[in-house]
Amino acid sequence: MSTDEGPKRRTRYSIGIAIDWFFFVFAGLAAIWLAYLSFTESFQVGWWGILFALGFWLLLAYLVLPRLHRILTAIYVPDYFIGRARTSDGLLGDPVNLAFLGGEDQIERVMAAAGWTRADAVTLVSSWHIVSSTLARRSYHEAPVSPLFLFGRQQDFAYQQEVDGNPAQRHHVRFWRCPDDWLLPGGRRVDWVAAGTFDTSVGLSLFTLQVTHKIDADTDVERDHIVATVTAADPRITVDVIEDFSTGYHARNGGGDSITTDGDLPIVDVRAVAGASR
Amino acid sequence: MTTPTPNKRPAFEPAARLLTPTGYHPDMPRPASTVAGVVLVLLRVAAGVVVLAALAAGWDALVASADVKIEGFDPTPEGQRLALWVVLSVGAALLAVEALLAILILRGHNWPRVFVMLIAVFSISSAFTAWWMLGEEITLEGTFVSLSLDILVLLALSSRSAAAYARRNERG
Repeated sequence: MSTDEGPKRRTRYSIGIAIDWFFFVFAGLAAIWLAYLSFTESFQVGWWGILFALGFWLLLAYLVLPRLHRILTAIYVPDYFIGRARTSDGLLGDPVNLAFLGGEDQIERVMAAAGWTRADAVTLVSSWHIVSSTLARRSYHEAPVSPLFLFGRQQDFAYQQEVDGNPAQRHHVRFWRCPDDWLLPGGRRVDWVAAGTFDTSVGLSLFTLQVTHKIDADTDVERDHIVATVTAADPRITVDVIEDFSTGYHARNGGGDSITTDGDLPIVDVRAVAGASR
Repeated sequence: MTTPTPNKRPAFEPAARLLTPTGYHPDMPRPASTVAGVVLVLLRVAAGVVVLAALAAGWDALVASADVKIEGFDPTPEGQRLALWVVLSVGAALLAVEALLAILILRGHNWPRVFVMLIAVFSISSAFTAWWMLGEEITLEGTFVSLSLDILVLLALSSRSAAAYARRNERG
C-alpha cells in the first residue's frame, strides 16, 4: 500500500528495535504478575495491606494498563486523522473541533487578547509548581496541560482559562500545526487544528484508572466559547463553519468520558491580524 | 518539484510498524523514565550493600550453623575470616559493576541498558518458574522486594522514551 518510501522502508526495521519490543512486552507481562502478587500479598499483611492495595493500584494504573494499552493501540488504532487526538497511551483523546488559518505569532496575539493564558510545558519545574500552588491554594494560570497526540506529535502549544481559582475546572484548547499539504477530510486546507474541551472535575480514568480531569461531554459549549472570545477580541477575525464535519464521531475520550457534538467545525481565520514580529 | 504528500494507509497498522527505529535526536533531553530506571538500579545496589553488611555481621553464626563440608575450606577462625573477605569482595565488585552500569545508562549508552534488562529478565523468569512450577512463595520478607525492583527496572528502561534516549544517536 505505502509505496511512497520505496526500498528505504525495508531497511528501517532493526534487530535492536525488535529486542526493545521484546523487553517492552516482557515488562508488561511481568508487571501484570507483580500486580497480582501485590494484590494477593495485601491480604497477608494485616493493616499494611492498605499500603499494598495502594501500591497495587499505582502499579495497575500507571504502569500495567498504560503499557497494555500502548501495545494494543499501536496495532488496532489507525494512525490517520479520525478527528480525535490520542493520549500518550494511544487511546482516543479529545475531539478535534476547531481549525485555524494563520501563523503561530498571530494565534498567540489573538489568544492573549481574548483572555487566554499559554500553558507551560510539562517539566520538573512546572510539575513542582502545580504541587506547591495546590498545597498553598494559590492559582497557577500557566499550569501545563497533559500531552495529547495528533499527526504522531504532541500538541505544539495549548491555551487555558481558569475558573474562579477552582483547580479542578478550566477551559483549555490544544493546537497542532498541520503537516504541509495536509487537507482536512473533504479537501479544505487549514494551518492548525485544535481541540478545545472544558475540565469539569477530577476523577478516575475509565480505561487506565489514573487520576485525571473529566471533561464536559458537550464539547460544543467549549468550542463556541473559544470562538466567541476570539472573535470578540479582534473584529478582523472571520469564521467559516464546516457543518456536520464530525457528526459521525460521537464517542468517548481517553479518560472514558462520553462526548456529544453537533459536528460543526469552525475555521477561524486570523491571517488579517498583524503578527507579533514579522 | 514534488512535495511529499501524506501516505494513504491501510485500515489497520502492520505489526512491523512497531519495529521502526525511534529516530535520530542527538539533542533529546533525558526522559524521566531513564532517570527512574537508574534510581531503581541504584536502589538494588543499596539493597545489595545491606545484604552484604548483614552477612558480615552474622558471619560467625552462619558458618557455625552450616554443616556442609566444603572441599579446601579451612575451618579455623583465620579461614573463616578469609572466606568472609572473599565473599565480601566478590559481592562488592558485582555491586560496583552494577553501579557503573547505572551511571552509563544515565549518560545515555544503550548496551548497559540492554544488559541490565537482560539480567532482570533472567532474574524475573527464574523467580516466575520457581513460583509457578515449584510453588515457591513470594513473600514480603522474602524475595518480593528484589523481584519488584527487577520488574520496575525493566518497566522503566524498556519504555519507549528510555529506548529513544538510549538510541538517540542511531541513524535509521
